[in-house]
Amino acid sequence: MAATSCSPSTAVSFYDFLDRMRNPASIDLVRSIKSFIVSFSFYAPNPENDGKRVQEFYLAMENSIRDHQLWSGASEEEIDYSMEGLEKYVMTKLFSRTFACTAEDSKIDREIAEKISLLQTFLKPEHLDIPAILRNEASWLLAEKELGKMNAYKAPREKLLCIINCCQVINNLLLNASISDNHTIAGADDFLPVLIYVTIKANPPQLHSNLMFIQLYRRQAKLISEEAYYFTNLASTKTFIIDLHAKSLSIDEIEFEKNMQMARLANKVIDEDYNMRDGMMRQKVIAPDTGMNLKGRSKSGSSYPFMDVEASDLTVGDVEMLLKLYKDMVNKYTDMCASYRHLSSSKSELVHLKGNNTSSNQPAETSARLDRA
Amino acid sequence: MGCSSSLPADRNSGRLGALNSEVSGSNDAKNLRVKLVLLGDSGVGKSCIVLRFVRGQFDPTSKVTIGASFLSQTIALQDSTTVKFEIWDTAGQERYAALAPLYYRGAAVAVVVYDITSSESFDKAQYWVKELQKHGSPNMVMTLVGNKADLLEKREVSVEDGMEYAEKNGMFFIETSAKTADNINQLFEEIAKRLPRPTPS
Repeated sequence: MAATSCSPSTAVSFYDFLDRMRNPASIDLVRSIKSFIVSFSFYAPNPENDGKRVQEFYLAMENSIRDHQLWSGASEEEIDYSMEGLEKYVMTKLFSRTFACTAEDSKIDREIAEKISLLQTFLKPEHLDIPAILRNEASWLLAEKELGKMNAYKAPREKLLCIINCCQVINNLLLNASISDNHTIAGADDFLPVLIYVTIKANPPQLHSNLMFIQLYRRQAKLISEEAYYFTNLASTKTFIIDLHAKSLSIDEIEFEKNMQMARLANKVIDEDYNMRDGMMRQKVIAPDTGMNLKGRSKSGSSYPFMDVEASDLTVGDVEMLLKLYKDMVNKYTDMCASYRHLSSSKSELVHLKGNNTSSNQPAETSARLDRA
Repeated sequence: MGCSSSLPADRNSGRLGALNSEVSGSNDAKNLRVKLVLLGDSGVGKSCIVLRFVRGQFDPTSKVTIGASFLSQTIALQDSTTVKFEIWDTAGQERYAALAPLYYRGAAVAVVVYDITSSESFDKAQYWVKELQKHGSPNMVMTLVGNKADLLEKREVSVEDGMEYAEKNGMFFIETSAKTADNINQLFEEIAKRLPRPTPS
């Protein structure tokens, strides 16, 4: 299957490519490659244009390689390996110049990651009508891991491979389900929802930029067939997530909005907490913290300025600040406990954000605070 | 699974494919590579049709790829040409309808499937036909397939209705049964015959 492209020979082919480039006979090729890479520093990033230039360069180099004495009598396979080596070399060199190189791309990346982090707090397989037989945590985890690796690679081919590996895991899950459990194979009807769910669970960093990068810089002759199919599935997963609203899911609209609102507030409090490192003390009330997606907080940073202080260092003037911090901390703690309880409780016990609280004390308390926030 | 996709063919086609990657594959006049997209409501049996087709070919030399949603199969025609179908399945649920253009872009063939026991799925098929006429490539070979033809007693869409609609829209029409394998091979053979051939250069 697509696994052809993950044959172990790749590493070999890359070193083989470097070896040939070290051969004095390839000096002309080395010059072309170097001057092409340098030429990129003359222009401001322009993804469409850059992609076109790189693709044209691949084709020109392929022709040069075919006619080159070092490759005389080389098989199609060898030439292909050399081209893989070339792609990896060129794109690794140009990576920082071409990956997520516009503010627009970074913005889209951030927006997607943020939306996914909201969805993660409540999305369940049934919201996408994923059949119970396909709910296989072990498989999903494996698929998530593959997707999560994508951002770590610099070569377009290796990034694409992560997508393909992720999709193959899902593929196998679907095929196994159809064999062992007599589940009628439903093809893409089953495949896409699982991929979407796995993507949301994985929240792969810089999803949009990774997809753009592959599309623009993977050799076009290689982004075809099965590879193109899986790539398209992840691209449509991205589109689905960007456009996702209550009606995209099997979920009550009010419940969806409530969940999103809760998650937003939780994110907000984490951000505020994060910003407190500037030393700014806030009087604002704290929204509940879900405890998810903590961005890391300072232990002894300016948000908790007394952490490294001895009792003998304190003055009467510190009391006001200490009391403020103490209250802040207690509020935060109770909010955190409350919202943790809500998130883990059943849907019927969800917080009523608009203050029409009915049930226990804790939700009422929290919602009052949410209203103020 | 252990099925591996054919690669020699891919490699030969690679260079040409790069030049016209927006066009559906295809290469020399003898060996065509064709992107085929499957559209239709969920539950009409899109994937069963292709599985029947792909698994039903017993030519030991043919290379197949069987995934859950992507399949490829090469068939040999009488004029000694071969056609490699790369079959792209799409999710049929309503919530994914807006994503379809990403899949049918650059496809040479669109197979729109409905279930003869569900007039609702026939309505959905007509929606896809209109969508393809508006946004698909004008040279796309379009086919209308009424599946589950073995369930005669539950039929809701008559053969005449299917045929008439297909004729009006310049499509090839066939009723199939993925269950009994009826007309499955015919479907793909007919599509292969209708493909525009590249003029030998």
